[in-house]
Amino acid sequence: MFRINFKIALRNLLKNKAFAAINVIGLALGLCSFVLLLLYIQFEKSYDRWDPELEQVYQVREKHHFGSRDNKADWQITNDSRVAALLKKDIPQFKYTTRIKGAHDCSVRTTSAEPVSMSGFRYSDSNFFKVFPYKFLLGDRTTAFSNLNSVVLKEHTALKLFGTSEVLGKDLKILGYVGDKGVVYKVTGVVEDPVCPESVDFGAIVYDGAQNQDPENLGRTSYCEVYVLSEKGIDLGLLNLTIHKSYLNFKKSFPDFDPKVNEKIKDHGLKILPIGEVHANPPFKEGWVDQIKSVGALSLFLLVVSIINFVNLATAKSVQRAKEVGVKKVLGASRKSLTWQFLIEAAFLSFAALFLSIVFVELLLPFFNSHFDLELSLWHNREIFMIGLELLAILVIVTIMAGIYPALVLSSYRPVEVLKGSYTGSFKGSKLRYGLVIVQFVITVTFMICMGIMMQQGHFIHHKNLGFDRGRLINLPLNYNETFAQRLKKIPGVQYVGTTTQVMGNVFNVDEEGKYKQQIIHLNMVTVSMETLAALGVQLKTGRLFSREYQQDTLNSVVLNESAAKLFGGNCIGEQYSKKSWDNKEYRFKIIGVIRDYHNQGFDKTVLPTVYKVTQQGGSASTNNLLVRLNVSDMRLVIKQIEKEWRILYPDNQMTYVSVEDVFKKELKTNDAFIEMIACFSFVSVFISLMGLFALSAFVISGKTKELAIRKVLGASNIQILNLLSRSFLYLVFAANLVGWPLAYIFASQWLSGFAYRVDITAGPFFITAGGSLLIALLTVGSQAGKAAVSNPVKALKYE
Amino acid sequence: MIELKNIEKYYANKGVKSYILRHVSTEIKAGEFVSIMGPSGAGKSTLLNILGMLEEPTYGEYQFMGEDITSLNERKRIDLYRNHIGFVFQAYHLIDEMTVAENIEAPLLYKKIGGSERKSRVADVLDRFNMVAKKDLFPNQLSGGQQQLVGIARALVAQPSIILADEPTGNLQSAQALQIMELFKKLNEEEGITIVQVTHSEVNAGYGSRILHLLDGVIKEDLKVNQTV
Ligand SMILES: Nc1ncnc2c1ncn2[C@@H]1O[C@H](COP(=O)(O)OP(=O)(O)OP(=O)(O)O)[C@@H](O)[C@H]1O
Ligand SMILES: [Mg+2]
Repeated sequence: MFRINFKIALRNLLKNKAFAAINVIGLALGLCSFVLLLLYIQFEKSYDRWDPELEQVYQVREKHHFGSRDNKADWQITNDSRVAALLKKDIPQFKYTTRIKGAHDCSVRTTSAEPVSMSGFRYSDSNFFKVFPYKFLLGDRTTAFSNLNSVVLKEHTALKLFGTSEVLGKDLKILGYVGDKGVVYKVTGVVEDPVCPESVDFGAIVYDGAQNQDPENLGRTSYCEVYVLSEKGIDLGLLNLTIHKSYLNFKKSFPDFDPKVNEKIKDHGLKILPIGEVHANPPFKEGWVDQIKSVGALSLFLLVVSIINFVNLATAKSVQRAKEVGVKKVLGASRKSLTWQFLIEAAFLSFAALFLSIVFVELLLPFFNSHFDLELSLWHNREIFMIGLELLAILVIVTIMAGIYPALVLSSYRPVEVLKGSYTGSFKGSKLRYGLVIVQFVITVTFMICMGIMMQQGHFIHHKNLGFDRGRLINLPLNYNETFAQRLKKIPGVQYVGTTTQVMGNVFNVDEEGKYKQQIIHLNMVTVSMETLAALGVQLKTGRLFSREYQQDTLNSVVLNESAAKLFGGNCIGEQYSKKSWDNKEYRFKIIGVIRDYHNQGFDKTVLPTVYKVTQQGGSASTNNLLVRLNVSDMRLVIKQIEKEWRILYPDNQMTYVSVEDVFKKELKTNDAFIEMIACFSFVSVFISLMGLFALSAFVISGKTKELAIRKVLGASNIQILNLLSRSFLYLVFAANLVGWPLAYIFASQWLSGFAYRVDITAGPFFITAGGSLLIALLTVGSQAGKAAVSNPVKALKYE
Repeated sequence: MIELKNIEKYYANKGVKSYILRHVSTEIKAGEFVSIMGPSGAGKSTLLNILGMLEEPTYGEYQFMGEDITSLNERKRIDLYRNHIGFVFQAYHLIDEMTVAENIEAPLLYKKIGGSERKSRVADVLDRFNMVAKKDLFPNQLSGGQQQLVGIARALVAQPSIILADEPTGNLQSAQALQIMELFKKLNEEEGITIVQVTHSEVNAGYGSRILHLLDGVIKEDLKVNQTV
């Protein structure tokens, strides 16, 4: 019985090859996007789960202003290093606390080889491996940092540096910054690379003893990350209250702690966060859970579109099976066996779709990974079992949705009506089917409009005037060094050399509180050198830029950007404002020029009112940006020359540099990737919907062959027939447009609101989508209807 | 075998009852070969469908092999289909996706007959109908007459006690029609299968043993046929 039913199913499929293919491919595409989403979510969820002991590890978060992107306080990962000792002292449940510096690039020399530039070397105190349960392949967890100048490598770092992981006791020279003389460290351990991604990522932990102490001077702060290992079974909420209280107490001893004087301190605070939740809660931006929401919704929509398609086609086609059902019933088939037959057929098809979707996923993954900078995999996935289970659940749902209609409706049909032939004509359930097509098209139309608006926005930010010239500008990770700068300037092709605390890709914002005409003014303060603004190619509005000709430029001259100038009432050249330093001295600054706002960190935030200073009296420029402006088109030759100079001055470091153009592209990458993803979704969704429309119209028309033939014999013209067939479908698409417009408007404005610089929503994408969808629908249905319209009626009539 | 008492069938349309069958009472004994005749719209198909339990009478009593049909549940009815009733349709109604052999085998599958016996029975029937060469063809590769032969073969293979046929030769040429009628007659006489057919042709009716004349839903005549052919 099963065999013959299987055969029938197969023959049915072969007879309707196009139908079957559309059906299966459509569902496979929807499933494919869903599987990718599952893999992605699974990947993000796998952060910091590599050891059960991690459940007792917490990250300390201090809420403060320092180094924040928009000069607003946030729960930052970098804390005042003093909180480590504070927590150890005040919270008895904490067994160990550890301080660790952020990762930065350094140059590493093993005894023989050339210097290698390494990232992920991090300095910590001696407690790091007491808090984090890394598995030591070599060496000992408890004694690794018994002696100063020890380093513990991750296995991949050992392999990269030495080509082997048997490196216990070997020496490493680490140069922390360019120009550093370097210190030799002994390898005291090699730890396993965890199988899961980590928030506290590192290639090596360096122990030099410096992190064991905090700065003595209360006016100085060493910023670092702090982690604690706690006892089991703490009440996080309660503990965080205690922590906060002890933090406030502690802060009272600081010179700048007076909420009346220092407004900002009011919203400072301290708390701990389970390490497992760190990845989902990054400071300054939304976590992946929020980010994924939109994409998740999209891929769910796509899945819905494809399931609708599948259900629609399956049920439409089932009408053709009415006769089979009727006959089987009078031969003695029970309703149950018929129901099962249809369910199994649907299961068979959805299984084929699942198989195909896995093929798609496998084909897409390499591309997907490289494009979105991910490391997803299906077969090597630790959660493959869960994913399999989730897919199976979807399969069951799809099967039931696709199979239950034909299974129940057809099997309940009274054979006499089927056999009389009245069933095919009545086309039962067509309302439901039309409804589903509308839903499908609403989603598609929404996708298309949103894609249009997003592309406009994408185009806008790609071509927006940044306010500086990003071409032929390179950035070396160096502090300013006058002799080096002068030597570079001698190279033909080098126009300007300068340093800054603020350039796209490496921004360090410092809030400055100034006083102008008795008014408090908050500015973002950027320290530059003489030629920096010229090197950036900023656009001067009024006044002048810094120049060596003016003595006072290194003392108290400042340049403002337009936003800052507005705070001073617009035309403010020659005006002065004052500023108090932390030790209560007053400095006065004179405004010499105003430049146009220039962008240095994406387009989601407005450019901050900014003041540029050459002076050392309010900050330093030691943020490792050395900007070099070239004025020849072939940059390679000049860069070779620069490298020569570099080698002379810094023989222990490989030269590295970035071009600001690349940085800009990288800055836009996440956004571009998102737009591309939406574009992908839209095309797939359009594709599926059109396939669905195609198949459905073909089906409807094939059911009307006889009616059409009779109409033609009665004198209907081809155009009339075309009109008759296409009209109802066009109504559907039109209705879908009406519903889709407001939805698209809501989604698009929601998305755009994330940008401080954005395009206005215009009618263009709406009308183009409406016109486009109607046209494509017309073509799709028309191609079917056309065939029916021009065919010879005699054939159709004879066939009956 | 079949007993109808006062069968009525009407459709209510906007409150107006339009009767299709009125006071139909008759008895069909096992081994009879009955032809139902009458003008178009007289209710012949309706009556046959009621006999085949494809439709329910609005009123009246129907006993099939001593069982009251009006109170029969689904399970029982399927059993009757599997074991006692064979249908032959004017439009053949073969399953298009099944070959000749598979079409014939289908009812045996529902009867849950074992594989080897199924094979031998199908082979038997194919042989008897001279269709061995065509067994792997699909219905649309056969002529109308051949399709109807398959239809009858399918009805017969489950060894029913009664065959209900609605204009079995309606779509066929007279030569083919006669062949089918000969077959019916043989089945009726040699195997004792009860046959009830609807037909418009006097000649076809002549093959049977009894004719029911239906007019506007009422049995006007119930004739014995003189076996003169
Ligand atoms: N579902 C229905 N609703 C209303 N009237 C119906 C329905 N089905 C059949 N009829 C009517 O019942 C009457 C008898 O139909 P039936 O099919 O039994 O006729 P018939 O004798 O088989 O005719 P023919 O020789 O043309 O096949 C017809 O007048 C028809 O209009
Ligand atoms: Mg009839």
